[in-house]
Amino acid sequence: MLETTVVVIGGGATGMGTLRDLCMRGVPAILLEQGGLAHGTSSRFHGLLHSGGRYAVNDNESARECIEENMIVRRIGRQCVEETEGFFALTPGDDPAYVEPWAEACRKAGIDAQELDVAEALRLEPNLSPDIRRVFRVPDSCVDGFRLALHNAMSARRHGGRVMTYHEVTAIHQRNGKVCGVTARNSISGESLEIACQCVVNAAGSWSGRIAGLAGLDVAVSPDRGTLIVFNHRFTSRVINRLHPGADGDIFVPHGSITILGTTSTPTERPDDTTPTCTEVLRLLDLGEPLFPAVRQYRILRAFAGTRPLYTPGNAAGRKASRNFHVVDHAEQGLEGMVSIFGGKLTTYRLMAERVSDNVCARLGVHAPCRTADEALIPDPDQAMLRRAARYFPVQGLQLMADRLGDDLPDVLQQVELAGRAGESDGNPLLCECEMVSLAEIERVARDPSTHSLTDIRLRTRLGMGTCQGTFCSLRTIGALVEHGVPLELSPTDNVRRFLQERWRGLRPALWGTQAREMELGRAVYAGTLNLDGAANEQDN
Amino acid sequence: MSRIIDVLVVGSGLAGLVAALTAAREGRSVRMVTDGMGSLAISGGCVDLLGYAGGQRLNDPWSGMDLLPPAHPYRLLGASRVRAAVDMLLQCAADQGWPLHTAATPEGAPCNALLPTIMGTLKPSYLLPDGLDPAALARARRILVAGVHGLRDCRPALIVSQLRRYRDWADKDFVPFMLPSPLGATHRSLSALDLARLVDRPRGRDWLIQNLRKHAGQCDAVLLPPICGSRADASIWHELNQAVACPLVEMLSIPPGVGGLRLRDALLRELRRHDFELVENARIIRATTDGKRCTSLTALAAGQERRHTARAFVLATGGILGGGIELAPGSARESVFKLDIPVPSDVTLWSEPEIFGNHVFSRLGVRVDGEMRPQDDSGQAWYDNIFFAGRSVGGYDFATEKSGHGVALATGWQAGRMAAATAGKFHEPASGEQL
Ligand SMILES: Cc1cc2nc3c(=O)[nH]c(=O)nc-3n(C[C@H](O)[C@H](O)[C@H](O)COP(=O)(O)OP(=O)(O)OC[C@H]3O[C@@H](n4cnc5c(N)ncnc54)[C@H](O)[C@@H]3O)c2cc1C
Ligand SMILES: Cc1cc2nc3c(=O)[nH]c(=O)nc-3n(C[C@H](O)[C@H](O)[C@H](O)COP(=O)(O)OP(=O)(O)OC[C@H]3O[C@@H](n4cnc5c(N)ncnc54)[C@H](O)[C@@H]3O)c2cc1C
Repeated sequence: MLETTVVVIGGGATGMGTLRDLCMRGVPAILLEQGGLAHGTSSRFHGLLHSGGRYAVNDNESARECIEENMIVRRIGRQCVEETEGFFALTPGDDPAYVEPWAEACRKAGIDAQELDVAEALRLEPNLSPDIRRVFRVPDSCVDGFRLALHNAMSARRHGGRVMTYHEVTAIHQRNGKVCGVTARNSISGESLEIACQCVVNAAGSWSGRIAGLAGLDVAVSPDRGTLIVFNHRFTSRVINRLHPGADGDIFVPHGSITILGTTSTPTERPDDTTPTCTEVLRLLDLGEPLFPAVRQYRILRAFAGTRPLYTPGNAAGRKASRNFHVVDHAEQGLEGMVSIFGGKLTTYRLMAERVSDNVCARLGVHAPCRTADEALIPDPDQAMLRRAARYFPVQGLQLMADRLGDDLPDVLQQVELAGRAGESDGNPLLCECEMVSLAEIERVARDPSTHSLTDIRLRTRLGMGTCQGTFCSLRTIGALVEHGVPLELSPTDNVRRFLQERWRGLRPALWGTQAREMELGRAVYAGTLNLDGAANEQDN
Repeated sequence: MSRIIDVLVVGSGLAGLVAALTAAREGRSVRMVTDGMGSLAISGGCVDLLGYAGGQRLNDPWSGMDLLPPAHPYRLLGASRVRAAVDMLLQCAADQGWPLHTAATPEGAPCNALLPTIMGTLKPSYLLPDGLDPAALARARRILVAGVHGLRDCRPALIVSQLRRYRDWADKDFVPFMLPSPLGATHRSLSALDLARLVDRPRGRDWLIQNLRKHAGQCDAVLLPPICGSRADASIWHELNQAVACPLVEMLSIPPGVGGLRLRDALLRELRRHDFELVENARIIRATTDGKRCTSLTALAAGQERRHTARAFVLATGGILGGGIELAPGSARESVFKLDIPVPSDVTLWSEPEIFGNHVFSRLGVRVDGEMRPQDDSGQAWYDNIFFAGRSVGGYDFATEKSGHGVALATGWQAGRMAAATAGKFHEPASGEQL
């Protein structure tokens, strides 16, 4: 039986942010996540750090929150954000009468939206449709949601917090109308774990309705599914939004060497309804054309889907439902010590965490103020450390790697230096050339107690996310890990099979063009050459 | 204006090479136009005939032919033609000093062999060069498993851990061993092809021999990545085996395909003994037809168009990967003649949720008759003097069946024969045939 003051349920941005906030205020807390880090929507979203422009007209309050948090996240989460800025572009199909009220609403929310000459905009973004009529630049940015959750976790750990992945909360216990603990099931060992606590924070995103249900509460959270397409090409260096009332398929977001187009919006029953469909992909391509006429020519790398936790009291659905967040103290329904955070956006995760933590702290009588906006998630590595690292890591990928690793950088560096001195290693080869991931980084991540599979390693390092989609690097990685004695949950062949299977899910709905060639190559290698399919039935244990 | 040749072969994968050889051996003039080296250059040097059918692994590939669906290329051809094709390849390879052979059952019948891969898995295959013959492994008690520092794709520890999971291998002794990089202490990454090219030269062979000798003495066999030379030169293989004094066996590996390049080398050498011309880096972009006859194909090379006029044509342009089949949302077509390949309009139906499942897309290809002529929906040949071969032909999934080179071989042989015969007819207008 473990004991703590607060149990946070959900290891997405919101939950991790809450854990960090509580720990920084000196409140002991443990976070439980049913899957790996950021298993839910925080790693299955568009990656736009909203300026708020999208919400300015409909929900000016949300827009204001966005722009304020946008500025804060850039400051505290430098490693997770790429400061790209964004355009709002009016296409011939959009209502020109929307522009003035929109610009006015941006002014009101404090969003700096500057009109730009169309010719100048096209010079900056040459792939953009020459038919666009008006363009405004706004302080949109791009954010890596997985890394944001990870770096929040690292910061929380530094302040004494504890993160337990692969622990699914199965029961919430109460005594005399007060929360007194939770039961969690370790999904890897199957064992169950009791944790005594005074408060539970339900930050389970699309699952938060179910978590409330565990405590016997009935709340209106409904998952809403959104699909996105990833292109193997950075054909825009800015976020491009259509200047119209928010709709499907109207935003392009660049990330590193790729671009993501999205999204769709359809109500679903299941929070894990994340298999994209071909119909959605084709629809997104149609919708994307007015902004980028050549959108069909770019190679699709994969499609993926996530579910939004829409808070729907009164049955508003889809795009009509509020994108705002709500902190609900369930004391109002007769359960003290349980607080839920419903709805919201990744952009405002910190603010959401602050509001929940305020609530919890008030109950606990803790008066320490929130400091999460003041302190960086990860301290910047010093230059001397980066110079040392340059001897072992490819220079072009150095900053990327340092940003990915966060707190783990010094450790990784020390390991390669030791191995290098002992002369025992074959250097520090790049195992994934597309994303510049080296052996040392992979080994460190693989040894992390929260890592159980190649897929976990992929999420942390971006291994296999590039052009080859894992065809070459998954085999190399599993080989190196066995060679270095790093155990994973599954056997090496099962691990690779599952990794390829996960990639396959994202490839299927767009099985044409170059992507289909890559797929035939992948099958030729893993089935045709390595007989991974046949071996499944022929190898023991 | 170039001369009119008998048979024009498009594509230089295994199907194209075999078609060209078959036609050339019948005395026809052959020109091969190709814009790349095909899958052969990235695949292993063995010929998989049929490893799995009806959900079963086959010990005897011939016994599985009847289990295949009627539209499968082997069924269209019939087993006796497939055998004839195999025999021709065996003959040509032997003539070039690069013999291929099959494993044999205890009763002496030819059968599939199980070949170890760099992942420590086993793959059934049929025709093997000496270097892949696993017979020595079956007898061995103690096996040295070698990797090379800098060769990221081959890790002895992985191979050993996975081979042990096969019952027949569980009790063997394995000695994992890393050879030092031949480049010294640099940290440069190497591919199996880099190493094989080094071993083509005496200095590289010395490096390999010296390092293997240190450990091979205590072992009954050495398992190593495909690095024993990049060409079809059996003398290198014999030199290495003798010097190390322990049987060497190469593993199947991922691209680049050292084994495939050796086979390609042997077949091109054999082709050069005939009336054969190779035009590389040229892409066929257009066909000129006259009713049911094709008269010429136009190639684009270095910005220049060139027309190739021939009496018969073999299209061995490969599949989705090779470039012979193009997929677009909701449609599929053959890439040179733009023949429509019927597919469900909903792309979701092209594949199954399981990556190694039974997908429509992996069996997509041109529909042909038993003579390899492309057919329309009603079973009529589109053209009389065009023959398809290899992965561009539909009806089979080479990856799960383990039949890639086997189908390329059998269909290439048939397409080459038919093209030769067709071109022959045009030589003899007296026979009354319409040109
Ligand atoms: C398609 C799409 C695009 C989006 N694009 C953007 C965007 O561009 N910008 C933006 O700001 N926002 C965007 N959003 C919204 C944003 O992604 C989400 O609001 C945000 O990620 C939610 O984070 P979270 O931490 O609340 O939830 P999640 O990240 O979903 O975390 C909840 C976690 O709880 C865990 N959990 C569930 N049940 C249990 C249990 N019983 N025990 C333990 N753990 C449990 C889940 O596994 C999950 O990891 C998008 C959303 C979608 C769907
Ligand atoms: C990575 C990999 C590993 C494999 N391993 C094995 C194995 O170990 N054993 C086995 O039996 N099978 C294996 N296979 C399968 C086997 O290689 C193929 O099924 C078979 O070789 C297909 O041969 P092909 O000649 O039909 O096509 P390809 O080899 O694809 O050749 C097509 C050729 O056509 C050319 N071409 C295409 N379009 C044009 C055009 N318009 N103009 C000019 N040229 C054109 C291409 O450049 C190429 O030369 C493997 C396949 C791959 C991809």
